[in-house]
Amino acid sequence: MKVFIDQLTKKFGDVIGVEDLTLHIDDGEFVAFLGPSGCGKTTTLLTLAGIYKPTEGEIRFDERVVNRVPPKDRNIGMVFQSYALYPHMTVFQNIAYPLKLKKVAKAVQHERVEQVATTMGIGNLLDRRPGQLSGGQQQRVALGRALVKEPDILLFDEPLSNLDARLRLTMRGEIKHLQKDLGITSIYVTHDQVEAMTMADRIAVMNGGHLQAFDAPDELYSRPKTQFVAGFVGNPPMNFLSVEVSQAEGRYVAQAAGLRLEIGRERGERPASHAGAVVMGIRPEDIQISEDGTVAGEIYIVEPLGREDLIDVRVGRHSFLLLASTETQHHAGERVKLSFDMEKAQFFDPQTEKSLLWRQ
Amino acid sequence: MSAPAKIKTDAPPASIAEDFAEALRLGAFSIIALLLAALLFSGVIGPLFALGSVEETVTDVLSRLALVALPFVAYIAAASVARRCAWTDTPRALGLAFASSLTLFLLISAGHYALDYGVFAPRPSLQMSLSQTADGLRVDALEPGGAADSAGIHVGDVITAIRRDPVDMAAFNLRLSQSEADAPLRLRFLRAGEEMQQTARVVIVSDKQLSALLPGLAVALVFTAVIVFLPGRWAPYIALVGLLTPLLIGYIWVIIATFSFRTEGLIPLDGQDNFGGLTLENWEAIFVGNIAGLEFNIVPILLTSLAIAIIMTLVVLLVSSMAGYALSRMDFPGRRFFLSFTLILHGFPAITLLIPIFIVLLRLGNIPLIGDLIGFNTAGGIALVMVAFQLPLGVWLMKGFFDNIPWDMERSALIDGASRWRAYWQILLPQIRPGLLALGIFAFIGGWNAYIIPATYSIGSGVSNLPVFLNELIDETAPVDWNQVAAVGLFQLIPIFIFFIFAQEYLLNIYAGGAKGSS
Repeated sequence: MKVFIDQLTKKFGDVIGVEDLTLHIDDGEFVAFLGPSGCGKTTTLLTLAGIYKPTEGEIRFDERVVNRVPPKDRNIGMVFQSYALYPHMTVFQNIAYPLKLKKVAKAVQHERVEQVATTMGIGNLLDRRPGQLSGGQQQRVALGRALVKEPDILLFDEPLSNLDARLRLTMRGEIKHLQKDLGITSIYVTHDQVEAMTMADRIAVMNGGHLQAFDAPDELYSRPKTQFVAGFVGNPPMNFLSVEVSQAEGRYVAQAAGLRLEIGRERGERPASHAGAVVMGIRPEDIQISEDGTVAGEIYIVEPLGREDLIDVRVGRHSFLLLASTETQHHAGERVKLSFDMEKAQFFDPQTEKSLLWRQ
Repeated sequence: MSAPAKIKTDAPPASIAEDFAEALRLGAFSIIALLLAALLFSGVIGPLFALGSVEETVTDVLSRLALVALPFVAYIAAASVARRCAWTDTPRALGLAFASSLTLFLLISAGHYALDYGVFAPRPSLQMSLSQTADGLRVDALEPGGAADSAGIHVGDVITAIRRDPVDMAAFNLRLSQSEADAPLRLRFLRAGEEMQQTARVVIVSDKQLSALLPGLAVALVFTAVIVFLPGRWAPYIALVGLLTPLLIGYIWVIIATFSFRTEGLIPLDGQDNFGGLTLENWEAIFVGNIAGLEFNIVPILLTSLAIAIIMTLVVLLVSSMAGYALSRMDFPGRRFFLSFTLILHGFPAITLLIPIFIVLLRLGNIPLIGDLIGFNTAGGIALVMVAFQLPLGVWLMKGFFDNIPWDMERSALIDGASRWRAYWQILLPQIRPGLLALGIFAFIGGWNAYIIPATYSIGSGVSNLPVFLNELIDETAPVDWNQVAAVGLFQLIPIFIFFIFAQEYLLNIYAGGAKGSS
């Protein structure tokens, strides 16, 4: 089922939850809403679910406008962060509850619950109560309850954030696999950009109630359209600094105190035509420590991450985070030379924070 | 080499003299502290109340309590030193304890002697010595010119009564100790087989006999010995039992009284004042319907009580939980006002509303059909008023319970396909079952034990519940048979007992929040 959100605004009194949000989701697509706390992603999700009524704008499931349709008539399934299982019911009763409300025959209920429970690997837990289950098991029950009524749309509200890191990894894969198998249009709210990047077909990045970008993960990563998206997507985060980009004799140069970097023509043209300073962004993996580097700096701190080291290098009054292989031992205070892969650099207008390279 | 560092080892065991000094110091501190406390109550707080023309005896009682407790606290303080070696070096502990408590006893007694207090206080006396004989109290000796002598009592007279009340030694001494100076006591006595009477006037004597100290000394030593060897973890239980005893005695009396012909204290007696007289007649009278000539039928009374309690429980539960849900989950105009208003209502003294409600119920009674249901002189009307008084508490309680249920639970139910009503009924209400049960029990007990409202709104009608009936029993039967009143009282308690036995686990839960979350 396709989901169309058109110019959706939701206000709570004077407080704005989301404002002027337009988003079209394709049938069977897995979309993540990504953003920091309070960015409006959960508000949008609950509006889709019918818990909140839109203040303005329109929500359509395929051709049907659902603005005023109560949740029970939307045929959606939802998984909550707190799982929201009913503690006074057994696992079986929990999963069967949506079917019971639909007045599905008892025998069919049994069959469907068994089937879902087997898929979720909780077939042996049907007689227990939620209080007797571990977090991961509760999560599976919640997922089973959302799936059992064969919904048109699946909504996830940070479903993995209460699980431990290892379990989160497993469940991430399982949910994605299940979604692809069933082909149900899914919307997944998270503040964890790794979850969004790994699971979603497209990611809607939100901030302060506004949509910042809506793109495929690799697009967001390599062609961020706003500075917020560039900073929010990617871990460790992108380095930002203010530079002047100038053109002399057909060569483009980004300059800041103690820093002079050459840029190719393709990347340099647009920032150079922008009057005054621009914000340059460069990801940690695009900076290397090398003998033939052009920028001299001093290592401020080294954080071993296991597979690689996260190194904070100070160049003048700028600070750069970069990733270096653990083969060479680095230590704080060491003087190093850095080489920048300027073909991966991003440039943003400091006023509008929009990308100078990629137009929206 | 530098000087070797002084390492503080365990302090060497204190000598007996040091321990003794410490015990005395602790004892003296307690004495001073309690004297100050007594002074504070009688000399500072009491006069302050008196300034405001407040009549009270509490400060006086507290002051005297402090003085009564004074020696015991001092012994405990002193014994606390001896307790340290009570099990390791028993003779030393005992010696220490006895020495210090003896010293403190002498100190306190010296104080009493100097201040004419305690056993040395001047006391009322008739200045003769008596001994108990089969006929009465025989006068063994007289102080020449004393009160008894000048009243014309002779040695060998046998006192049988004061005025018309026969006395034994204990009763005589009690009567005497309660008399004031110059109070006349008309003594009846036998002289050579002939009954006579003379009036003696009480004098206050201050004889300060040292022998009077002996009982106090014995108490001091025994008490100290007990304190020294008392396991520390018993202390809270002993204190609690001490505090609870008066209450327990009350309950025990009620239970014993219902099964006996009459009681003297806690002792059941029969018609001849002998131990015994256990009977089921008090209970039988309830069901037969005749108590001391007052004829009644217990069944309608019981049914009225039940009707009021059950109607009240059901209505309070239904309305409170729905109002609590709305106040917790919905936003509507006037929500805040409603919340604060119910709180004020809860604090409103119900008594002031008795007359206005009386008028309302009278008018309601004039409405056809409805009037018979909830008007004046109906169980329904009484229950209605009781419900109104109980609701503010119930609404607040239920709101609190609903507040504790996560929003996601309800949202989940709505998305699963439930209507809001169904989510309330099937998902939310089961979460607050402990709260419902607790509120239900409060409401039931409130309705079952209600007196003032049923008594006011059922005047002169057959509608009376058990508490109102109990009051009638005391009013209209003369002389009041307290044993039967106790039986009716205990009878009234039976359903409450049953409720508590089955529900105490849930009741205790009311303060634990109730909702057990899944995460």
